[in-house]
Order: sequence, then structure tokens, then C-alpha cells
Amino acid sequence: MSREPPAPSASPQAADWLAGVAVVVIAPLLGELPIWISAAYLAAVGWHYLHTRFGWPQLRRWLRWVLALAAVAAVLRYYGTLLGREPGISLLVLLTGLKLLELRSLRDAVLAALLLLLVLLGGFLYSSSLVLGAYTLVAVVAVTAALMRLQHPGLSLRAIARSSAVIVLQALPLMVVAYLLFPRLPDAFWAFQVSDSGGTSGLSDRMEPGSVSALTLSDEVAFRAYFDGPPPPNRDLYWRVRVLWDSDGRTWTEGPPLAERATLRRLGELRSYRVMPEPSKRPWVPALDVPVSAPAELRRRAGFVYEARRAQREHRSYELVSATRYRTGALDPEERRRALALAHPPSARLQALVDSWRTERAADADVVRAALAHFNREPFVYTLNPPLLGRNPVDEFLFETRRGFCEHYAAAFVTLMRAAGIPARVVIGYQGGVYNDAGDYLMVRQSDAHAWAEVWLAERGWTRVDPTAAIAPSRIEYGIDGVRRLSSQGLPLNAAADAVLRAIELPWLDRAWFRTRLAWDYLNFSWYRWVSNYTLERQREFLELIGLTEYSVPAMFAILLQLLFLYALLQLRRRRSRDAVQDLYERYCRKLARAGIARAAAEGPLALAERARARRPDLAPAIDRITAHYVALRYGRPGRGELRALARLVRRFRPMSPRRRLVPRS
Amino acid sequence: MSANATRGLRGVAAARLLGRVAVRHAPLSLPGGGIRLRRRALYILPTREGLYYGAIVFVVLFAGINYANGLAYALAFMLAAIGVVAILHTHRNLASLRVAAGPAPPVFAGDIARFTLVVRNDSDVPRSAIELSGPTGTRRFDVPAGGETVVMLEVTTAQRGYIAAPPVRLRTRFPLGLWHAWSRPLALPGACLVYPKPAPEDRPLPDRAGVHCTGTPSARLEDDDFAGLREYRYGDSLQRVAWKKAASGQGWYTKQFASAGAKEIVLDWHLLTGYATEERLSLLCRWVLTAEQQRISYGLRLPGVRIAPGLGPAHRDRCLERLALFEAT
Repeated sequence: MSREPPAPSASPQAADWLAGVAVVVIAPLLGELPIWISAAYLAAVGWHYLHTRFGWPQLRRWLRWVLALAAVAAVLRYYGTLLGREPGISLLVLLTGLKLLELRSLRDAVLAALLLLLVLLGGFLYSSSLVLGAYTLVAVVAVTAALMRLQHPGLSLRAIARSSAVIVLQALPLMVVAYLLFPRLPDAFWAFQVSDSGGTSGLSDRMEPGSVSALTLSDEVAFRAYFDGPPPPNRDLYWRVRVLWDSDGRTWTEGPPLAERATLRRLGELRSYRVMPEPSKRPWVPALDVPVSAPAELRRRAGFVYEARRAQREHRSYELVSATRYRTGALDPEERRRALALAHPPSARLQALVDSWRTERAADADVVRAALAHFNREPFVYTLNPPLLGRNPVDEFLFETRRGFCEHYAAAFVTLMRAAGIPARVVIGYQGGVYNDAGDYLMVRQSDAHAWAEVWLAERGWTRVDPTAAIAPSRIEYGIDGVRRLSSQGLPLNAAADAVLRAIELPWLDRAWFRTRLAWDYLNFSWYRWVSNYTLERQREFLELIGLTEYSVPAMFAILLQLLFLYALLQLRRRRSRDAVQDLYERYCRKLARAGIARAAAEGPLALAERARARRPDLAPAIDRITAHYVALRYGRPGRGELRALARLVRRFRPMSPRRRLVPRS
Repeated sequence: MSANATRGLRGVAAARLLGRVAVRHAPLSLPGGGIRLRRRALYILPTREGLYYGAIVFVVLFAGINYANGLAYALAFMLAAIGVVAILHTHRNLASLRVAAGPAPPVFAGDIARFTLVVRNDSDVPRSAIELSGPTGTRRFDVPAGGETVVMLEVTTAQRGYIAAPPVRLRTRFPLGLWHAWSRPLALPGACLVYPKPAPEDRPLPDRAGVHCTGTPSARLEDDDFAGLREYRYGDSLQRVAWKKAASGQGWYTKQFASAGAKEIVLDWHLLTGYATEERLSLLCRWVLTAEQQRISYGLRLPGVRIAPGLGPAHRDRCLERLALFEAT
């Protein structure tokens, strides 16, 4: 055993990079910490830099102690406590700054670098985004470089940068394997939990004029859907979230829950897919119109909608199967009562309108068609900015403003149907979505929120009717992005189809930007799945994916250790030297050895040549030339093409061949 | 088998094991051609900073577990992996270096003996911040890829005779300072010859004691007539350097003077009565140097040793060697 020699004292210059690293690691925290803490830290870093570069004095010992106590007192005063996330990080940052002012030995400098790693860790408690992850990698390279400079201040920046990048790159595979396999715990040790950043403002469980159009500017992802095969066309992408039965004339709500008894008979093909809602306070699981089967863990509610049993705090995916063409069964009396209820008796003009359809045509389906034709024929406008409505919004909308978004049309349509005695209800959810080629999934954003209607027809059961489609087919054909582009170009949203197509054809730059955003979403989402949310369940999924079904913590540690050793062995494996001259010379020596002239342990090339010449005079010219070239390459000033000449000579050097020829003869 | 016998056997086994362990870790003697530092000749352990680093990794990991923070997990494993990779790098910084001992020129007692160590790097990776540490201190050096570095190991001498270099180790903490790799102690072959410490220069060549003058018994060896110039040799007095010539860039020359009287002297131990052994040797050593410098042919007589008068560096070295090894065990 050898005692570790005392660590050499740090030359101040060797520690100058710590200042840079200190700035790098604090950057993610700057927006989170109180300004005075950041300022104090940066001041300490500045002093440290001036000390290392320009020989400013270090603070006196008693002054450092005073400052440390002051830091504790200030944090205590500011937060009222030293425990918890913010006070802890603040204290860490302040004391790390102080440590930078106290570098008496190399060990102090290394310790300061290690504390900087903890500061970096502090940033993770506020964010774990992909950008921060990439930034962390850079910061780790910087810390490595600073440590290396402490060990060897004489190395050039280039050499240090290269070596530290090599170290980090070699560490990456180890890190990935350890990361994936290291056993995750089901729950935190303590109840220290990061407070939620607040629920996203998404689709609401009530609908009133303006509630859906308010979402059109939100690009937040609502959920993602993975299809087996290509996704259905946009016009079939109706994602049910909630069915609203009750209305006070203005606001539509679900009302008291109904028993789910409706039966369903599918007609067309089934589509199976996975839905993965973004975490939110809502338990909803959007399903394609209309789901026929769902995992047992989901609760089914009246109106063919599903929800999780509690708020979804993390990403979970659900396997669903939907039928796009279907018939539902009979309507029970309770449902019929709710589906026909009106908040107020219909106004005279509304009743007159409905009656005009009823008298002309008898069947319910004809009334529905007449209503849609009415929307289509009359000067109704589909707009992202509808005017505000007063006391009786449906009436005002139908007969006065005639400008509205999907919720206006859905509410008006259902009211009309109920007035006509046809059971009807509002369905809210999402329509459409953007297909993300990069990740092969359909991304549905809050802006895809939509409201439509369902009527109960005797021969078909509940039937989807989307009045928006009657006014602005482009909304259904091309999705909300088409509508937004039309709107931004000042075109009417119910423009003819070719005008829509022209309008929504994006210029290439926008298209590229759009694609970039999709790729970015995919990257971020993958990051989320693999880093922010790599939980016990996710790890199980992954391990099953790679075939490790028998999961146990000891087995996992054993695998980790074995992989570690394997990796170390691979790294230690004797590298082929890249010294071409040495390789050639050793090849020549091997050839000589086979001919019985082995090179002695410390024999120089000239001595070997002399011995070989004596033993094999026939080889003397070749030996002399090889030796001359080798000596010139190794010790002298080699001429051009010298290496090639040596290679040729060694290749042609055949000390064995004469003897081989001799053997058959003898 | 009795308990005692078992214990005895066990003791023997333990002793044998310890012996084997001791052999494994004993100093490696460097053969003339040098040795390559193989894996078995190298050790590696974390430094104290490395232990702190491990603690930091645990803190980060703990944060990852506690807050279920994937990024903190990732950082913890990244740091751990860097720590592991650093083992390989630190080890590789020493591994397969070829260490050979160079010559150690003789010195006078009290001077610093300089053992040379040639460290050759046959690989294509430069080796940085290697320390050669012996009992007398530590030297840091780099070895470029495919190159070699000559390192001096300085040992202060006190006694005449042969002095062996103390076993030395190569150490390194490069690249990150988290690990500390060191070699088995390396015993350098050969030894440095240490001549007796010469008596102060103001001791002139004596006229009587210890000197047989075969020529005119001149009392003092004065520098008489300028006799000519010869090339400067190591050991020549700086007072005799032909500075004019040296200053004009013609090279270094020593002025030679013909001493009229002394042609040949014999420095005789037996005539130096009244001095202790080391003092005698010290005086003789000084006179050898002075005589050589003044180009007076000199011989040496010690108990059991008789060297005929002569001149020249080889003769001087022979005389000094006899003095150095006089009655040396």
C-alpha cells in the first residue's frame, strides 16, 4: 500500500476555469432564485476570477466565517426557515459562492468544483426539460474540464476540451445502461413533493358561448394517439370527451350522472389505437367516436365516454377500440326526458322555425336535415371571434348575430332539436389532430377542441350531427389549422373548398417551421417519457420490451455490475498501436524470429541487424535497407516516401523462403 | 490432528501467503533494458477528493430517488460513469510506460547524486502529470505520445562509497484527481559512486606531508610561466579559463602554466598522520583534484593500494574511486 501523497497546493491560475463553470451551473437557477442571492453568488464568482487571474487577495478567514453566518441569517430571514427546497438551494448557492473565495489547496478547488455539481442539481428541481438536459451535458463537460485543468494547468485548452469530451462520451453508454436498469422505487422516501405547476387550461367540463373558441390559440398538447396503421381521415377524427345533457339556456353541463345502459351495434370496421392524455387534473380519456372497448381500469360513463378513476398526474396510455359506424339501442325514459328538456319554453320565432320543418316533413331525420340546410342556406358565419350574446344566447344567435363558433352552433342545434321533440345532446371533445411523422402519432392540441351534437333517431339510435360541418366544411376537412389560416388571411371560414386548399397551402418556410415544431414535440415528448417520467411502471414496460420479465432488484444490480466490468474490459483491451513505423518494424522482427533470429530484450535495431547479417549474409542488403529506413524514420529526419519504402521492403522481406524451397529438395 | 498442529499449519499457510503477497508487492528491480509497467505493477485507489466525489454522486442519486427526478438520476449516473471512466484513464496514464534507468555520474559527498530515469511512452496517448516520487521529493513530468522523458532523481549524499537510489514510484492523479494510481516501487540498478568530500580548496598541495617529490622539492606550486592553452575540461578552475577567447566565441580554453619544480608527486596516506580516516581521504581527494588541475603528475598510495603517477581524467577517476571505496564494506 502506498500512502496518498499530500495534495499539491493549487496554483491560483489552475482554478480560473472554476469561475466559468460556476456561471454555467447557476444559469438555469437565475430565474428561480431571489435576485439578491444570484447577485451575491455572482459577486463571489467575480472575486474568485479576479483572484485567480489578477492576484486579488483572498478574503480573511474571519471575514469568510462572518459572511457564511450572514448568508444563513439572510436565508432564514427571507424564507423564515432553512428547510425545504428554496431555502436549501439558496443556502447551497451562497455557500458555494463562499467556497470559491477559499481556495488554499488543490483539494479546496476540487471541493468547490464538486459543490458546483450540486448547484447544477438544484436547477433540476425547477425544470427537467429537454433543453436543460442537453445543457447539463455541456455543464458536466465543463466541470470535467475544470477538474482536469486543476490537475494539469499546463495542458492546452484544446487538449483539455478533447480529453474531457472523450471522458464524457465514454461515460455516456454506462450512464444510459445504469439509468435504464437502476431499480426505480414506487414512491418517494419522504413526502417532499415538488408542487404541481398547476393544471393546464384545457377543455372545460361545461360549455358556454366562447368556452371552446377561447382554446383555439392554445397549442398545448391535449393528448396523443397511436394508431395501428394510418390514422383515419381528419373528418372522422371526432374525439369524445364529455356528453352534456343539461342547460340553463346559456351553459351546458353534464348534469346528474345517468346510468350507462345504451347498447351498441357496430357496422363498419373497428379501429384500435392507444390514447395517451397529457397529465392534468382531469380524469378524461378522449376516445374516437364511438368506443366499443376500453381497459377495465377506465370508468365508463353514459354517452360512450371514459375516464380514469382519478386525475391523471402522469402519462399513461390506454388501448381503445372504436367503431366509426354504429347503431345504438333504445332510449330509456330517463334519458329521453333529459334529452328533451329545455331550460325555457322556446321563443315564438324559434318554435315557428322548428314547426315549419315539422309540418313540411314528418320524419326526425328530415327535420335534422332541414335544420342543417337552414344553417347552410341562411347567412350564418363561422368565426373565431363571435360577438357576445345576451340573455337568451341561442335565440339571439339564431335570429340576430348569426356569427358563432362551434359551441354556438352545437348549442343552437341541440336546442332546435329538443324544441322539435327530437332527443338531442351536446358532445364536447376534440376534432382532428396533427399527424406527427417523426413519432408516428397523432398529436391533438387544445386548439382542436370542438363541440358537436347528437340526436337520437329511431332507426339509428344516437347519431352524430356536426352543424359546424354544414357551415364550415373546411373545419372538419382540414382541421383548426386550416381555419386559423383562413382567418389570418381574412378569408371567410366557410369559403369554397379550393379557396381553402389554396389558403392552407403553407409557404415552404412555414411548412419547414411546422415540421420542426412537430419534431420538437416528438423530442420533448420522448424526453418526457424517458427522463421526466421514467417511473417504476415505465421501467417495467421497458424491461419487458427488451425481454427482461423476471425483474428483481438484486438481478438488476448483478446485470449492472457485469455490464460495468464488460465495459471496463473493452476499454482496457490492448489497443493496436497506431504507430505505423513500429508496426512495420515489429513485423520485420517477427519474420526474422521465424527464421531463427529473435530480437533480444533490449537489442537495438543496429545490433540486431549486425547479428542477423552475420547469421544470414544472403539477407544482408534487405536487412541493411530496412534498418536504415527504420532508424531514419524513428530517430532521424525521414525523407518523403520513406515510410512507404519501409512498408514495401518489410512486405517483400522473406527470410524463410529459401529454406522453404530447400526442404522439398532434401 | 491437535489444535496446536492445526494452528501451526495455519500459521505456516498464513506466513506463506504473506510471503507471497510481500513478493508480489516488493520493489521491482529495473533490468538494464528497463521494464514495462504492466497491470500487475500498478495499483489504484480513490483519492480523498474521489471519496468526496462519490458522496456527491450519492447525494445526487438520493435527490433523484426522493423527488422521482429523472434528470437527477441521469446526472447521478453520468457522474458515476465519469468516475468509472476516470479509473481507466488514470490507470492508462501509467500503464505500459517503459521505465529504464540511465547512468548516474559520480559525485562528491555532500553533493546531490542525480539518478536518471528514462520513461518512454510507446503508445499514441500522451501521458500527463506523472509524478516520480522518492523519499527526497516529487517531480512532475509529461511523456509525449511515442516519446520519452528523462527524469532526474536527486539524492543528497553524505557518505563516500556507493549509494543506491532509493526505490521510487511513479504516481499519477490525472486526469480528474479522483483516483490515485501508483506503481510498485522501482529499484534502480547500479549505484552512484560518491567520492569523499574534498577538503576546502584553500588547502594547497603540501610540500612534505603525504607528498613524495621526485623533482625539485619546491615548497609551493606557483603558477609560473604561461605554457599554452588546452581545451577546457570539466573540473578546470574557472580562474584559469581563457576568458578573452571564451568571450570572443572561440570556445573554452584553459590556460596552462609550466611549473618549474614539481613534475610528479605521490599522495601518500601513510604520511598524513594525525588526521582521522575521513579527513585524510578528504585531503587526498582535494589534492588529487588540485594536482589534476595543475597538470602535476600524481600517484596515490593507500593501505593496500598503489597507483602509479599519471594524469588525465581516467587516472583522476581511478584515484577518486579508490578513495571513495577505501575500506568500504
